[in-house]
Amino acid sequence: MSSVLVRNHVQVTGNGDRTMVFSHGFGCDQSMWHDVARQFESDFRVVLFDHVGAGRSDLAAYDRGKYSTLDGYAADIVEIGHALDLQNAIFVGHSVSAMIGALASIAAPGMFSDLVMVGPSPRYIDDEGYTGGFSRPQVEELLDFLAENHLGWSAAMAPAIMGNPDNPELGARLTNSFCATDPAIAREFARTTFLSDNRDDLSRIAARTLVLQCREDIIAPPTVGEYVHAHIPGSQFMLLDATGHCPNLSAPAEVTAAIRAFV
Amino acid sequence: MPVEDLADLYENAPCGYISLSPGGRIVKLNRRLADWLGWDAEDIVGKPIHDILSFGGRIAFETHLAPLLRMQGLVNELALDLLQSDGLKLPVIANAAEKRDSEGRHLLTRITLFKAVDRRSYERGLIDARDRAQAAIEAEHETSMLREQFIAVLGHDLRNPLAALAAGVRMLSKREQLSERGQLVIKEMGASITRATALVTNLLDLARGRLGGGLALKRDSSQPLAPVLEQVVSEMRAIAPDRQIVTDLAIAEPVDCDPGRIAQLASNLVANALTHGAPGIPVEVEARIAEGDFLLTVSNGGVPIPPEARAQLFQPFFRGDMRPSQQGLGLGLFIVSEIAKAHRGTIDVTSDEELTRFTFTMPLRDS
Repeated sequence: MSSVLVRNHVQVTGNGDRTMVFSHGFGCDQSMWHDVARQFESDFRVVLFDHVGAGRSDLAAYDRGKYSTLDGYAADIVEIGHALDLQNAIFVGHSVSAMIGALASIAAPGMFSDLVMVGPSPRYIDDEGYTGGFSRPQVEELLDFLAENHLGWSAAMAPAIMGNPDNPELGARLTNSFCATDPAIAREFARTTFLSDNRDDLSRIAARTLVLQCREDIIAPPTVGEYVHAHIPGSQFMLLDATGHCPNLSAPAEVTAAIRAFV
Repeated sequence: MPVEDLADLYENAPCGYISLSPGGRIVKLNRRLADWLGWDAEDIVGKPIHDILSFGGRIAFETHLAPLLRMQGLVNELALDLLQSDGLKLPVIANAAEKRDSEGRHLLTRITLFKAVDRRSYERGLIDARDRAQAAIEAEHETSMLREQFIAVLGHDLRNPLAALAAGVRMLSKREQLSERGQLVIKEMGASITRATALVTNLLDLARGRLGGGLALKRDSSQPLAPVLEQVVSEMRAIAPDRQIVTDLAIAEPVDCDPGRIAQLASNLVANALTHGAPGIPVEVEARIAEGDFLLTVSNGGVPIPPEARAQLFQPFFRGDMRPSQQGLGLGLFIVSEIAKAHRGTIDVTSDEELTRFTFTMPLRDS
């Protein structure tokens, strides 16, 4: 069992009757949730983890076949949930993790009673009568870009960090593996993410759900957030002032407040 | 000393400068960057950075650059594609830093850009070459696996007909009344079958070894080794009746070995000596025990083994210089070295104008 916790570099902190699991999306690792997750440690058990292929997860555990759909990632979450004995826990998922968490909650009823979706999208590519925000050629262009930028990407993913004089408290958190992602795996994760279609799963979500939507987000535009809200029975919707795709980083206070009000 | 003009340095630096609001809108950019993009600087100020990034660049910005910047304050060497006013892409390398106030609030994002057209082409070429090499390796590996399996099956399938031939030849020479000529023919047939069987055995051993089976041993110290070696030599004499093979076998103690494998080893060494040795000089097979080891040496005269061949002698499929009439797979010495290894022994070779000698040494008992 503990091998699952090692595989996904699971970190458990905090104290409380209920557990909150924070899940990162494409492009980063669990460190992107630090600022927000920390705020809940005094009254919740807080769980952070890395998807396989990101951060300090076990790269050897990456299996192309398994992770070619979001269900593979959802299965890992269910395994983590079993390893930690989770019941009626809260799942906070950023970006593609919102759908991964939804799939996990459907696969393991009772494990997650509440879902917070930050910048979710059930399908990125436009379809007949549906605006995902991306065209297929654009997604192909993205995948080509990721292929071509292996060398540059990995340099960005493992930078040599100098101290930041403007923000000394960040220094302690900085390590060479910050937001590290294996470039080949990142490309596959992008493929899985941007070619996914989980619109039909929305109506099967039984958990109590909050959708947090940024005012301007090119990856999960407001129309998509509204679509998600409309198709999840009984869900709540909040439009954040924040812009960009990562409000947990650019506006942590606003995101924390929104989650607190919900739980 | 000339004096720098900061305003001019900013505008006409050899790199592009651009500053963004926390919301990602363009606050300022220098003339250099504007020229690269084909815009007037004033026309872009106020627009979102996305407008001058390719689609891949926008995703990279939102999912990698911005989050890293927020966490680290600094990002180096991110590859991006800018979008020129004519719609063409301009590959660049970007360094970015956040300007924050004394309370740590994000004020500006500052990005420095270098053109990376050549570098990007070079990197793309490297990636393509690596991908092609990878594909070639995988294809080669697959082919190699198929080849090994084919050899294994072939060797196996050949054994039965050979065994039938051997049995038939034995029966004919023992039970049938043969003319003198007939006896000669049967003798030669027997020799050929022995040779063919040895070839097939070597093939199978090779395949088994390569496919990961390894050389299995059936140790039996109760069987005296001298008769086994005598049998091998007599088979070799049947194959090469006009050659002289001399034996000196002094095996006073039991040897904890696989007699069949030792026979195979001896057979391969003697065959090798006959093939490469000078015809007029006898091949010598010597066996003795010394200091807890069993030693078997096979010697021949003739042209010494060239130094460059020495390194490869025990590699599979190595054949060295052979006369056209001598066909072989080049497996004999490889199998010899595998048998030696399996017995925790060694095989050594010395070769000069006088003598070429192979020495097999193994511990008497498997400790």
